[in-house]
Amino acid sequence: MLLDVSGLSIAYKGLEALHGVSLHIEEGELVSVIGANGAGKTTLLQSLIGWQQPSGGIVSFNGRDITGERSHIRARLGIRIVPEKARVFTRLTVHENLMMGAYGMSGRREKMAVRDSLRRLYSLFPVLERRSGQLASTLSGGEQQQLSIARACISAPKLLLVDEVSMGLMPILVDQVFELLAQLNREEGLTILLVEQNALASLKISHRAYVLETGDIVLEGEADRMLNDERIREAYLGI
Amino acid sequence: MQLFFEQLLNGLAIGSIYALITLGLALVYGILRILHVAHAAVYTVGAYVGLAIYSHTSTLLLAIPGSMVVCALIGVAIERLVYFPLLKYPPYVPLISSIALFLSLEELCRIIAGPELLTFPAALPFPSFSAGGVRVSGTLVAVYVVTALVLAILWFITSKTEFGLAMRAASQDMDVASSLGVDSRRVVDAMFAIGSAIASIAGILVAIYYNQVYSTMGTMPAYKTLALIVVGGMGSVPGAVVASILLGLGETLLIGFANIPMPRDALAFIAMIIVLMWKPAGLLGRG
Repeated sequence: MLLDVSGLSIAYKGLEALHGVSLHIEEGELVSVIGANGAGKTTLLQSLIGWQQPSGGIVSFNGRDITGERSHIRARLGIRIVPEKARVFTRLTVHENLMMGAYGMSGRREKMAVRDSLRRLYSLFPVLERRSGQLASTLSGGEQQQLSIARACISAPKLLLVDEVSMGLMPILVDQVFELLAQLNREEGLTILLVEQNALASLKISHRAYVLETGDIVLEGEADRMLNDERIREAYLGI
Repeated sequence: MQLFFEQLLNGLAIGSIYALITLGLALVYGILRILHVAHAAVYTVGAYVGLAIYSHTSTLLLAIPGSMVVCALIGVAIERLVYFPLLKYPPYVPLISSIALFLSLEELCRIIAGPELLTFPAALPFPSFSAGGVRVSGTLVAVYVVTALVLAILWFITSKTEFGLAMRAASQDMDVASSLGVDSRRVVDAMFAIGSAIASIAGILVAIYYNQVYSTMGTMPAYKTLALIVVGGMGSVPGAVVASILLGLGETLLIGFANIPMPRDALAFIAMIIVLMWKPAGLLGRG
């Protein structure tokens, strides 16, 4: 088991945003957590990357308890995040943003690996190569989302957390981004935890899924079966 | 005309010293969004420590680095013991603490070193020269050279090293930077250490320039540097440098050369009011 979360609780401004959430991800899986706005999805991811400290529960990664670890330690263990609204460094160039993704990888082997992944990411996202010297603030929303994904992937992470990547993107881009995530998972074996309001798009590419409702996991199972589940179709897919 | 050039050169030196002090304030504001008023007290401590080391060793080659190290440690201690625990509160809480800390450090200097004006009888080892009837003293040359050197080193660190890249990234979004492997506390430590060490250099330069050290020498810089980071653009290091140099030149030329009857120290605040009305983000501020 790559990620094992058990009984995770988070209090946010005195209110409990997650009440004892448990979930797990195997290596190579693409798992999504779907739920309405305010269900606690973003809180869940923020606690997994270490931006919020849990009030209870245990998070272990690769068999190691990381519940109290700070973000940079989690990053070094191989957990990366594509945050909500991309959050690229707008005052740095595109290339500098990518180099931040490879921060601390200064050994000779690591440098070579970074150069290889940069080449691969540039062929995946040609716009980033074309605009590598420009400030990230000049990119469109969709391009910033691509940069954020590339920044998270350049270090060849073991687990990629993706937070509401479809938000604010044009529908045609949403499909492209989801296809890309599926491709990263399929071809490179990247393990991905996807948190999404766009349930249909994320279930289509996922192996398994969890449904989060006001801080509780209310349903879990194979993504295919969820796509055909009456309750899910009614509540989240609008069909 | 000769007077004009002499005043220009003096103004440039005063502006350089303002820049050295204001840099630290801009660095700290840039990363923690705290108005670090106590920074001006670190500058005062820098002058005292420099003088103490100089009077025992008679060499600036020990006084300056020694004072830089002491001030860097004080800066990091302020950040860890005072600001870090207060970050979860609204910004006025660390601001009030910073003012209290500023006054306490000034008093501490007065209690330890005494209330009287001390002299700093060191000569900076730079040659003076004159060109076209304008004499440039060795002290002025030293101020220019040291400031240029400090700015060049700072530029190199922030734009050519990986740690500098992390500093710029963390100034913009500390959470995201740490989720990419940056130990944000180390970055904050480094910023306080760098800013405070530079302030100690400024303290020593001013002490030698005017040949005096006293416990309230940081009072006017404390207010003036706040006006300067507003004029330059909150948190913008290049903005702080540009605003400082312009102010040094403006003060000296308007009051020392054009003889406008106005208290010299008022100019910074007049500039601040004008900038706030005309371009609230500051000269080189962002949006």
